[in-house]
Amino acid sequence: MAASPANVTGTGLMEGVTDHINREVVESLAADEPQWLRDRRLEAWSLYERTPMPTTRLEEWRYTNLSRKLKLEELVPLPWEERSFSPESAPARLKDAMARDREASGRLVEIDGSVAWVELAEEAASKGVILTSLRKAVESHPQILEELLATEALPANLGKFQALSAALWTDGVLLYVPKGVRLENPVRVTRWTSQAGRALFSRTLIVAEGASQVSFVDECVSEDLDAQTLASTGVEVFARDGAQVQFVSLQRMGKGPFHLSQQRTLAGRDSTLDTLNVGLGATTARVDLNAQLRGPGANSDMLGLYFGDGDQHFDFNTSQDHVAPNAKSDLLYKGALDGKAQSVFRGVIKVHRGAQGTDAYQTNRNLLLSERARADSLPNLEIEADDVRCSHGATVGQLDQNHLFYLMSRGISRNVAERLVVMGFLGEVLSRLPLGGVVEKVTEIIDEKLHG
Amino acid sequence: MPQNEVVEGLDLDQYKYHFITEDEPVFRSGRGLNEKVVREISAQKDEPEWMLNFRLKALEIYNKKPMPTWGGDLSKLESVLDEIYFYVRPQDKMERSWDDVPPNIKETFERLGIPEAEQKVLAGVGAQYESEMVYHSLKEEWEKKGVIFDSIEDGLKNHPELFREHFGTVIPSADNKFSAMNSAVWSGGSFVYIPPGVELDTPLQAYFRVNQEQMGQFERTLIIADEGSKAHYIEGCTAPMYSTESFHSGVIEIVVKPGAHFRYTTIQNWSNNMYNLVTQRAMVHENATMEWLDGNLGSKLTMKYPSCYLVGEGAHGSVLSIAYSGDGQHQDTGGKVIHAAPNTTSQIVSKSISKGTGRSTYRGLCQVHEGSVNSKSNVECDALLINETSRTDTYPYIEIEEKKSNIGHEATVSKVGDEQLFYLMSRGMNEEEAMALIVRGFIEPIAKLLPLEYAVELNRLIELEMEGSVG
Repeated sequence: MAASPANVTGTGLMEGVTDHINREVVESLAADEPQWLRDRRLEAWSLYERTPMPTTRLEEWRYTNLSRKLKLEELVPLPWEERSFSPESAPARLKDAMARDREASGRLVEIDGSVAWVELAEEAASKGVILTSLRKAVESHPQILEELLATEALPANLGKFQALSAALWTDGVLLYVPKGVRLENPVRVTRWTSQAGRALFSRTLIVAEGASQVSFVDECVSEDLDAQTLASTGVEVFARDGAQVQFVSLQRMGKGPFHLSQQRTLAGRDSTLDTLNVGLGATTARVDLNAQLRGPGANSDMLGLYFGDGDQHFDFNTSQDHVAPNAKSDLLYKGALDGKAQSVFRGVIKVHRGAQGTDAYQTNRNLLLSERARADSLPNLEIEADDVRCSHGATVGQLDQNHLFYLMSRGISRNVAERLVVMGFLGEVLSRLPLGGVVEKVTEIIDEKLHG
Repeated sequence: MPQNEVVEGLDLDQYKYHFITEDEPVFRSGRGLNEKVVREISAQKDEPEWMLNFRLKALEIYNKKPMPTWGGDLSKLESVLDEIYFYVRPQDKMERSWDDVPPNIKETFERLGIPEAEQKVLAGVGAQYESEMVYHSLKEEWEKKGVIFDSIEDGLKNHPELFREHFGTVIPSADNKFSAMNSAVWSGGSFVYIPPGVELDTPLQAYFRVNQEQMGQFERTLIIADEGSKAHYIEGCTAPMYSTESFHSGVIEIVVKPGAHFRYTTIQNWSNNMYNLVTQRAMVHENATMEWLDGNLGSKLTMKYPSCYLVGEGAHGSVLSIAYSGDGQHQDTGGKVIHAAPNTTSQIVSKSISKGTGRSTYRGLCQVHEGSVNSKSNVECDALLINETSRTDTYPYIEIEEKKSNIGHEATVSKVGDEQLFYLMSRGMNEEEAMALIVRGFIEPIAKLLPLEYAVELNRLIELEMEGSVG
């Protein structure tokens, strides 16, 4: 097919195509796959080739310079591999992460981009819930994938890395919850990355049918990696009419990796689709989250929490996309930055023409804990309907000295007082989505960082 | 729709500055922008060589810089620029006495109420017609105290050292495409110097009028407020409504020296076919205060973000901005505050009203450099939407490198509340009056900072614009 001129610039052509990331890898992934999937991958690859690498001249990448942060030419994509996993012989950090999880309706472990272990509670299975490796689902549930994988929510034409993910994914998760089925406990996914210098591409597809209910916790863990490693996840969440979905991403990788998470949530009529993104680990972490309110009465709470130290760089790029009338979205992202850490929050509330009766709120608050930390915040509004209630706020500041003073006047040392104030600041986010297991883990990691 | 026709009809009537003065300019450059035009302008002004070189260098920069792809829709601008006259000289020399101004130009400004205002409330008045200042005067008492209020050309001629020391230092030609353009073809504007310790108790005003069709106006203003001085400068702009587009691109440079206090007020009411792309910036030194009061009511597209560079300890900057966007208008306005010294404070308050297919955009930057300890900044944006076809955007950029700072931004968007309307109507107002009252209340925090005459004028303008907005 002819290249679309809109995507082609003189230098854009073939940018990001390397000795290791190229069409042959896509061909080999697609070798045994059905025609529709093969076509989808190759189409995505061709879009990738034609899309220029994002630069800081693009608003969405203004504060994250990819040419400095990501060395694509040094990365070798991980192939899919049959992997075994047993909780007993797992690496310590992974074992620890899983041991401290509470009850789950299902569990899935992905190791270096290949799913190694799946477990689904019998009760859930008997009601028709599907939890499986995405690669296996190509054979077992092709109709769901053909309809929804990289089509409606995160199609390849959304951008360079969306195209790369759609072309190069090796494995991931399919979670399907039938109509009216409510899962009492969360589905917990743990991803483990251990191979430095590699690029891995995983995708998650969650479909919650009408009036169903499910929580999903996606935890990313790794060792400290001494060479740059790219961990890319593409997340697509569908909440059909009246469904209730909670999606939590807990990113606590070790030092070294570039974590790239692309998320799109589509909330149907009267559904609730809440997300929480926690960024604690990795050297560079970028989250793109587009939450579309596509049915009247839909509601999305969008929460984010980050704590950076050392030379960590977090970049959150969110969108509250109000297409339908009478929907509501409420975003709260809070972060603390120590050391030379840097955070970027860029969020837009977009109210389309006709989305009357929209309620949309957006708040980003940042605490700078050290002289060399930096926070950039760009809370944007684009409003094309008049009967709306929209507001946004952003703050950057230091620890509240009154709070510190109060605690210290009660005999608490400065160190402890500071920790308490930071915890109190960030804790507001967790209290809005208090999912078992997550709160404890996050609290503990922040505490470790504060003790640094 | 008959209703719309009525509304549009009203809007045209309301633009009371739509009148065309018949006259023949003394000199007019060719259409479009090129080296010949730049050399002509410089020769017409009999400039020193350094200024000609400055202009030519700026033209080079202009040609190299790409058209901005952000902000408003500039896609048709290039074809507009090819057609406009970059320099139109309406008369041979600038007058100091109102009686000497040519009758047709005098009549124009009399219709705009300038001489009357001068007698009543102003310390000095400048009037620009097309490309040149046609009149400039300053009350004697201020002249005696060493205040300079002159056309920019006379500033260059009569005060060459002071001029050269500051010109182009606050806004370099290469700052952006339109500052480069202005640097190449600037003509008219004011040169203001307030000596140390002198406090003007009434404002200086410059009035800008574009009369010709397809005309580009490029005024350049340089203001130096010396230590401990205090002054207020007001600019107003109007043009008749033509079917073709006109272009205005000003550069305003202000140096606010230690302890000085300067306020710059713009009431921009260009006709709705005007591209208005302006760069305004103040360098604010130790314990000095700069206040921008920016009212944008007219033009087709305005892109304008008055800036305060807080470079001295204890400096304070504020930007208060009101934007009104009616049918087909886009006001892309806001403000920038750069904290580059300790203990600096700033405030941006922006209020916008979008009506019909109008679009108001707030675009702002708050930057705190490392080492600017104890900086405080607060940004507040409120947008009011009148119709379902109206649009508003908010794009604040907040870039903080200093831990010991306190930065906040807040914005709200709303429509005029039914409860508010109902309440006022239950008190016997009709819907239109109620709407106008609510809108006046909305802009009141900024309007009250204007000298009374201007506040009244602003309220009246808003009221006129709001007529026919109901239903």
